Amino acid sequence: MALLEVKNLGVRYEPRLHKPVQAVDDVSFEIAEGEFVGLIGESGSGKSTLANALLRLVERPGRISGGSIVFDGNDLATMTQDELRPYRWRDISTVFQSSMNALNPVVRVVDQFRDAIELHSDLRGDAVVDRVRQLFGMVMIEEKFLTAYPHELSGGMKQRINLALALVNKPRFVLLDEPTTGLDVVVQRSILEAVRTLQAEQKFAVLFISHDMGTVLDLSDRILVMYAGRIVEEHDSADLMRNPLHPYSKGLLGSYGDPRAQTVRITYVPGRPPDLTREHAGCLFAPRCPERIDRCLSVEPELLAVDGARVACHVAQLQAEPEDGVEVPARSAKFAGPEFVKSDDESKEALSQHAFLTLSDVSKTYRTRNGFTFSDFTAVDDVAFELRRGAVTALVGQSGSGKSTLAKLITGVEKPTAGTIMFHTREGRAIDVVGLRPGQLRDYRSKVQMVFQDPYSSLNPTKTLGYILSRPLRNFLGLSGEALKQRVEELLEKVALTPASRYRNRYAYELSGGQRQRVVIARALASNPELIVADEPISSLDVSIRAEILELLHDLVQESDVGILYITHDLLSARMLADEIIVLSQGRVVEQGRALTVIRDPSDDYTRKLLDAIPNPFDKLDRPA
Amino acid sequence: MRYFLRRIGFFLATLWAAVTLNFIIPRLQPGDPAEIMFKKLQGRDAELDPAKIEALRAMLGDPAGKNLWEQYWNYLGSLSRGELGLSYTYFPYDVATVIGVALPWTLVLVGTTLLISFVVGTLLGAFAAWRRNTRFDSIVTLGSTFIGTLPAFWLALLILFAFGYVLGWFPTAGGYDASTPGWNAEFIGDAIYHSILPASVLLITGPIGWILGMRNTMIMNLGEDYVRLARAKGVPDTQIALRYAARNALLPSITGLALALGSMLGGQILIEQVFDYPGLGRLTAQAIDNKDYPLLQALLLFTIVGVLLANLIADMLYGILDPRARKAQS
Repeated sequence: MALLEVKNLGVRYEPRLHKPVQAVDDVSFEIAEGEFVGLIGESGSGKSTLANALLRLVERPGRISGGSIVFDGNDLATMTQDELRPYRWRDISTVFQSSMNALNPVVRVVDQFRDAIELHSDLRGDAVVDRVRQLFGMVMIEEKFLTAYPHELSGGMKQRINLALALVNKPRFVLLDEPTTGLDVVVQRSILEAVRTLQAEQKFAVLFISHDMGTVLDLSDRILVMYAGRIVEEHDSADLMRNPLHPYSKGLLGSYGDPRAQTVRITYVPGRPPDLTREHAGCLFAPRCPERIDRCLSVEPELLAVDGARVACHVAQLQAEPEDGVEVPARSAKFAGPEFVKSDDESKEALSQHAFLTLSDVSKTYRTRNGFTFSDFTAVDDVAFELRRGAVTALVGQSGSGKSTLAKLITGVEKPTAGTIMFHTREGRAIDVVGLRPGQLRDYRSKVQMVFQDPYSSLNPTKTLGYILSRPLRNFLGLSGEALKQRVEELLEKVALTPASRYRNRYAYELSGGQRQRVVIARALASNPELIVADEPISSLDVSIRAEILELLHDLVQESDVGILYITHDLLSARMLADEIIVLSQGRVVEQGRALTVIRDPSDDYTRKLLDAIPNPFDKLDRPA
Repeated sequence: MRYFLRRIGFFLATLWAAVTLNFIIPRLQPGDPAEIMFKKLQGRDAELDPAKIEALRAMLGDPAGKNLWEQYWNYLGSLSRGELGLSYTYFPYDVATVIGVALPWTLVLVGTTLLISFVVGTLLGAFAAWRRNTRFDSIVTLGSTFIGTLPAFWLALLILFAFGYVLGWFPTAGGYDASTPGWNAEFIGDAIYHSILPASVLLITGPIGWILGMRNTMIMNLGEDYVRLARAKGVPDTQIALRYAARNALLPSITGLALALGSMLGGQILIEQVFDYPGLGRLTAQAIDNKDYPLLQALLLFTIVGVLLANLIADMLYGILDPRARKAQS
């Protein structure tokens, strides 16, 4: 018998003022003692709701609407909170996503372990502290932090401590809910290593929930893929990489490319997840599915066994057991949808273009006052590089490496403490960015535009898209009337929000994350800029639609003579989009070169560390081309 | 430790600034204070008798012929001895005595009701948040929002009218009548009897702010991950509510309480007026009516010192209760 058996579990949200949502629907799976199972799902797939249901932490207006959660023979779903308490943290523990807030801010770390220990064991006094010491050793945190308060620890340390806290009573099952999201790649790597080692030693069962297929595939024995509140595929992880069955799984896998290849290809899933408040017929993925057949639109597929795995897809099921008279496409491991391609030859060509923005010996020092003493912090240290028209340059570094400060210097928001920044316009005029007076900045900003990280907060929610796009057109170009309207529609069409007339009067909240980011890009294009500074434009988007935005940016560079400065912490996406990569560490440029060269043959240790930290499930396999 | 020393340093510096301003501002007014006062007492066109003015000057503790610097030192000296000048209203008593008589009344009435309001309000707020969206929560929240919209003095008038005049259960004015002030049972009983009406008004309006403040902060805290984690840990509900959610939600209320205790020294002017209660509030109103500058100035100084002290206490408490505050400012 499995340790955890989930059968037909459903979770329903019934808010008073909105339509009810079946966030988790008919989910069944098992986890055996000591097994490491991964659960992949994108935002809105119901994975966090499922996690809350397993821990019985669903709060009103949500409730478990059906099914059972049998742990070691007892159904957790129907227990009262009092009956449940003995299981909590002794048998079942968890690590939450946000390491920042999972620890009580006014209680010393050791005391947060103490209540978890004293509630569930006979250890008291010094024995408790000894146990915590032992756990600190396991996650490699120095003992002096025993008496620290949470705010005195870094994000990575907090998450290690959360991990140690989860293991405090030697649980049999640990639920990891996005345990590394929001942490730096290098820190993320070290946390995952700790999880892997500890799990191998202590043999607790794990359900590892994440939106990032790379990290999940890397650690798990078996994978559950969740879409729109349902499990659409359950598959052994090594086999999933070779032979994914559900088109959505293929789409997710396709969003990882091999950065070392001469030509990188990544696929993306067009469209957006379904609105679960609406009635539906047939497969929920069908509207986005390139392989769909007629049956998909009318009959909802069940999760059935196919080739040693389980999949909820008519096509995959028919491929395994053909039916007369029903034609299905041939089986393929590749997602049959749109693809974004970037070749090294393009980069070579792009790098032969003329430079139009030159930074020489640029430094930026911030001074902070603490009482009567001052301390200087050098955010950017003696940086020099050039940006070219028609080329994408990626600025790569961890948080605190100075990449956002450089963006501020280039856009003229802040002035460097030393060095020069020269911008050469299309008309051949040279602008000294450092010497610009406030009045002249306006003209400069029409040439240099920003795309921000979070498309959810960078669009005014009370204005229509037409209004949002008309502002820069009025301000910078002085357009009005019919000409303005026409230009707005052109911009919407340029970012593939077609037909434009349908989008002009809509609001940002009606759009998906990918569509919103398109609007943000359209807004940046409105003033007809020469340089676009894109600060992590895809990191808050779901994996399956990231390539869509990359492709849009790529097309812009190819079609017009703009240059893009792409700021990111992610070397993989830098390789996808950029022709040249500049690696920053502690405000200094540590490596600079053609994208493929930097990836294939990094010369700096720091670059190598960043490269190693990229979760790459395909390293273990020879990936089918 | 550095945090606490810094706080005390700030306190002393602000206190000095307040005391000095209190000295400078009256002296910035044109003319001789003694002459102005004389005219006020005798009428606009009164003959100035130099001897009388000299006497008034001596009485005000502002002997002529000394420079500003010496005056300042004298002022600081008499302040430290508690000599605040003479009150016009209660002539010939000095200001310190007058305030000394009124102070206990306010301290006991406002202080007690404030503390009770805080405890009751915070508990009700915490409980409403814990049981949010239940009937209890709705009644508490809607009820306190409703009462909160009623002006306190109007409520005071209603209560005075109903229980003082119509029903005649309680006295309508004063702090005591048929007893001798002192530590005797008769007087204490009498004082309590007189304070019931004003206290009831303060107890009706007092807790509202604490209820709403605590409820909102606590609801926010209940959504925090550390509370979810505590649930997942299997921590019993009462402990989650108290040690995790309420403990963190209490922090802003502590600052509020300390500030309220500080401004308490100003008294509850309207309530004390309505009930003709012999506290600092009524005294302030009288001082304003009678243009009793020495008394008013002393009362102002008193309030300032009270608020500053309360601020200091709030900062200290915050430093003890919230480790983040210590780190951020030291």
